[in-house]
Amino acid sequence: MTLDRARWDTGITYDAFKAAMTRNQERFAENEGRVVLDPETVRTFKSLPQRLRVLVLAEDWCGDVIANLPILGRLAKEVPTLDVRVFYRDQNLDLMERWLNQGKYQSIPVIVFLDENFRELGHWIERPASVTERRAQERKKIFAAHPEFGSPDAPVDQLPEDVRARLQAELHRMREATLAFANSEVQRELRELISGVAV
Amino acid sequence: MTGKPVKVKITYCAECGYEPQALDLTKALMHEFGARLSAIEIIPWESGTFDVSVDGELVHSMRREGGFPEHASVKSAVRARLDRGSHV
Repeated sequence: MTLDRARWDTGITYDAFKAAMTRNQERFAENEGRVVLDPETVRTFKSLPQRLRVLVLAEDWCGDVIANLPILGRLAKEVPTLDVRVFYRDQNLDLMERWLNQGKYQSIPVIVFLDENFRELGHWIERPASVTERRAQERKKIFAAHPEFGSPDAPVDQLPEDVRARLQAELHRMREATLAFANSEVQRELRELISGVAV
Repeated sequence: MTGKPVKVKITYCAECGYEPQALDLTKALMHEFGARLSAIEIIPWESGTFDVSVDGELVHSMRREGGFPEHASVKSAVRARLDRGSHV
């Protein structure tokens, strides 16, 4: 797989991706509106000595894309030297193969920082491990507090519909409650990623 | 002898875009078994789920088996359940 100017130009801008979304457009816009950029994040990216290409692999049905891509979008609005291009994962499997999660999973979003000559400076995949861990802990607490939800490992189709709806509502509340932490962790990882490379 | 109709539940991760796989399996089961199924319930869920149960018995779990189920294996589970129902 060669990543060159011609291939780069097949990617679409962040705004074009938003406009072309066939689902989750409202959720995406809502998440974008709720992003609070850490001044340190903006400062870190603004202080970079050169323009960066930012390649993103995404799909509009993916929850992690809906949650995390708006953070990059907001950052790129603040830092005009970030040139973001989005590539649909399922139409660019050769690119996906290059940045598989743990070498085997086609997890998205993938955010790849490249220099002007398409040399990779670093990449970021899906979501921070700290967020996965925190949410798993919170999920355990929910099940501990609600015996009616049964075992966290049991198939949810065994729950009566009303109980399942309550579980879903609890999980939604938990995600909302951990949103600020998650956004902050994404920014911390992106900052650390770009701070750790010579640009 | 026709067995007692069985119910299939398909729980899929809506956030992961697994609708096509859920619908393909639903269609395959409808074509294969028709009215021998009492219902096919499709449950939108999250967390990378793709579970299939037949009359309450989990016959495929993405977390347990990995990946999506082969249609043939789900059909086989439904057939076995129908056969069991016809012998009680």
